[in-house]
Amino acid sequence: MLHEPLLADPVRATPDATAPDRLALDGISKRWGSADPVLDRVDLNLHPASLVALVGRNGVGKTTLLRIAAGLIAPDRGRVALDGLDPFADRREYQRRLGFVSAGQGGLYARLTVRQQLECWSRLAFIPRRERSDAVAAAIAHVGMGAKANARVDRLSAGQRQRLRIAMAFMHRPALILLDEPHTSLDDDGVSAVEALVRNAVGEGATVVWCAPSLPDLGLAFDEAYLVDGGKVLPA
Amino acid sequence: MNTVADYTTAGMAIVRRDALLFLSYRFRVLSQLAAVFFSISLFYYLSRMVNVTTFSSSDEYFGYAVVGIAILEVIGASLSGLPPALRQELVAGTFERLILSPAGAVTSTIAMLAFPMLVALVSGTVALMFGIVVFGLPIHWSTAPLAIPVALLAALAFAPFAIGIGGAVLAVKQAGRVSGFVVTGLSLVGGFFFPVALLPWWIRWMSQVQPFTPSLNLLRHLLIGTPLVESEWLSFVKLIGFSAALLPASIWFLSVSVRWAQRRGTIIEY
Repeated sequence: MLHEPLLADPVRATPDATAPDRLALDGISKRWGSADPVLDRVDLNLHPASLVALVGRNGVGKTTLLRIAAGLIAPDRGRVALDGLDPFADRREYQRRLGFVSAGQGGLYARLTVRQQLECWSRLAFIPRRERSDAVAAAIAHVGMGAKANARVDRLSAGQRQRLRIAMAFMHRPALILLDEPHTSLDDDGVSAVEALVRNAVGEGATVVWCAPSLPDLGLAFDEAYLVDGGKVLPA
Repeated sequence: MNTVADYTTAGMAIVRRDALLFLSYRFRVLSQLAAVFFSISLFYYLSRMVNVTTFSSSDEYFGYAVVGIAILEVIGASLSGLPPALRQELVAGTFERLILSPAGAVTSTIAMLAFPMLVALVSGTVALMFGIVVFGLPIHWSTAPLAIPVALLAALAFAPFAIGIGGAVLAVKQAGRVSGFVVTGLSLVGGFFFPVALLPWWIRWMSQVQPFTPSLNLLRHLLIGTPLVESEWLSFVKLIGFSAALLPASIWFLSVSVRWAQRRGTIIEY
């Protein structure tokens, strides 16, 4: 445990260290070209209902690690499992259980509205038809975008776009949510909205990984924190 | 919900997305229709000027060229349209979201072909209508409705080429440039603007090993009554054969390309 909880949370489930791993990274290595490996035989096991911080300086491999955990890219060596599922052999079910916010501002269709974007994602995420409209409405409400639901993305501020990206990561209620610098561009209300989403997801049993260069000052209690440095992931 | 329904819903979401994006550009429809009109007009006046023994009249050549233009629209939309669309997705970071969806990169890439092909089929139909209404193109109305299923089958036979190029773009990025050469080469050997019989013998064989020439022959036969050089059933079987053989192969190639780019870590780069 990195530090004491900053906020008391009555709905918070207690991480069960004896439960099967939610995310298991076993001997992960990745090298870009002929450079030294950015990740070198990394082992990491995360439990359900936990909030995990992943910190490290720029360029140490945090984003690469998240991309591997997401099944976006494959490691050179090692094994990844989400609830025992392989990201490539069990791709469909793996992605159903995953939410991901990448670093940066990309991943949105500039000429679609907030609602159209979320409706498109609800179908791509295989949310059942009867739940789709509720899921879209809830996603809009959770990130405080009600007034902008019919606004086109290219007319949103950077912070509003980030809220939308975060809404997309949470709307299908994934079991593992990987957030790469999610508080970028967010104002205080935006950060509060993300904190509430994270708190709720962890309370429902999800594992949330919050990745940032340094530990953010948030109203959230991290159950575990890891430092990425020199190709290794170490408890912080 | 079962798997087929999930993937169909996801594919339809891509089609709907593409339609919304297409319609968000107000003048796009207008400019596309204008381009079709200018092409048809160009070939109408060319046909007035040309007088060769291959065609019995200027109108016959005009009809021949109009069907060629209509089919070239479909080929252009698929082969030339997918690589820049993929490039845009990669640059905007939206392809990452498709990869990380349960629907996945392969389904999404294939679905990205559907709307442009639909637009091209409409555009091809509009080209024919222009030809009929403005320039008096003589259509064989008794067989013309059969052109609809043949055009759909032709689109299915063309799709593997686009899917293959899409796979190459994901694997080696700049492969999209190849599609321009492919479309130009096809317009030369496919019989779009002139009969393949006019080609030198040593290159004529190329018209037999792709689905574009039998599509053109069938559609011309059904729409304007051009005599077939082979039986209509043989052309039809060729189209089915090309679709049945090439579609699974192209989807396999796309899957391998995605997996390869994921291993190299370049799947979201351009």
